[in-house]
Amino acid sequence: MIVIEFFLTLFVASIAAGALGSVVGIGGGLIVIPILTLFLGVDIHYAIGASIVSIIATSSGAAATYVKDRITNLRIGMFLETATTTGAIIGAAIAAYLSATILEAIFGTILIISLIPLVRKIGEEYPPKQQLKGLAEKLNLRGDYVERDGRKIEYDATNPGKGLVGMLAAGLISGLLGIGSGTFKVLSMDIVMKLPMKVSTTTSNFMIGVTAAASAGIYFARGDVNPLITAPVALGILIGASLGTRVLVSARNTAVRKIFALVLAASAIEMIIRALGF
Amino acid sequence: MNNILGIVLRAGVVLSGIIIAIGTTLFVANHSLDDTSAYLAYNPSLVPHGTFPVSLTGIAIGLGSLDPFSLIELGFLVLLATPVARVALSLFLFAAEKDRMFVYLTAAVLAILLFSILATPLIPLFNG
Repeated sequence: MIVIEFFLTLFVASIAAGALGSVVGIGGGLIVIPILTLFLGVDIHYAIGASIVSIIATSSGAAATYVKDRITNLRIGMFLETATTTGAIIGAAIAAYLSATILEAIFGTILIISLIPLVRKIGEEYPPKQQLKGLAEKLNLRGDYVERDGRKIEYDATNPGKGLVGMLAAGLISGLLGIGSGTFKVLSMDIVMKLPMKVSTTTSNFMIGVTAAASAGIYFARGDVNPLITAPVALGILIGASLGTRVLVSARNTAVRKIFALVLAASAIEMIIRALGF
Repeated sequence: MNNILGIVLRAGVVLSGIIIAIGTTLFVANHSLDDTSAYLAYNPSLVPHGTFPVSLTGIAIGLGSLDPFSLIELGFLVLLATPVARVALSLFLFAAEKDRMFVYLTAAVLAILLFSILATPLIPLFNG
């Protein structure tokens, strides 16, 4: 393939990946990796390096767009990030000793199972009012955001401890496989901590950038971040994330959750297919 | 403070985008019809695995001659710096709110992040 064709294909795919990723709080590796490995014949290591680039670009691109619409919960994000970054380092350290195939099979299965609680609350626009207690109360894990029609939505987090465990898993996966950590983050916040869906996806958006940055140094030094791939991916994702973020701000929570459920199913299938060796 | 955070994020993203766009333009101007396979060769037995610069000195030398790949790598490093800056600035944000617990939590995240970016590439355990 010639350079210009390669660039344009990847650029267009990355715009789509950035738009989708910024809405549902994931990094876009779901789209970028298969495009690279299946259609463009790129080595999987470079594809994972590109996934790291796409995660950071989605996260920062989205954040730079909604400077004014504050839906992201920085407190909850930072609290959970302690577990995610720790998990990412552990994952990167033990990656060489574990079989990626078995990991993908396990995580793919977990994702499929987690579709059940997600589908159960598919029509829920706002979580029922919680009682802030225990660790959540001590750390004041609550927040509010303003919908486009001017309504102020207040919410409290529950189960911060279980949320931390989910985030440790998300970090491990990110360090081990370089992918899939956004889905686990959104799931933990939506299903376990019971935050409004848009708070979950935007807070995940903040977190995935930090988690990916934690493993980026290693990938970069190894030479897995190939500039020929980085250029169209970063530029496309930044544009796509900016577009997606504008959509997200005025979207309904139920709509975001429905899109997320589809993305979750797709990434579970992608993981299992890879584990089966196709 | 929240505004400063927003301005820094936006500046980082725009700057990174501009640097990468310049690198891309320079590369496409001279190599648009090249075959990609030479640039995408992956050598598993060598570190770094590719043929592009990955060290700061390598990138700096490349920038001197306006090497497109060095420009793109620099743009990526600027992009990589934005989430780090976001965490670092949050530290001040929580300090200004006198939220001691969150100053500690954020300092921990920043420490892990800096360790991971700066130190782990030097530790053999992480270079599988």
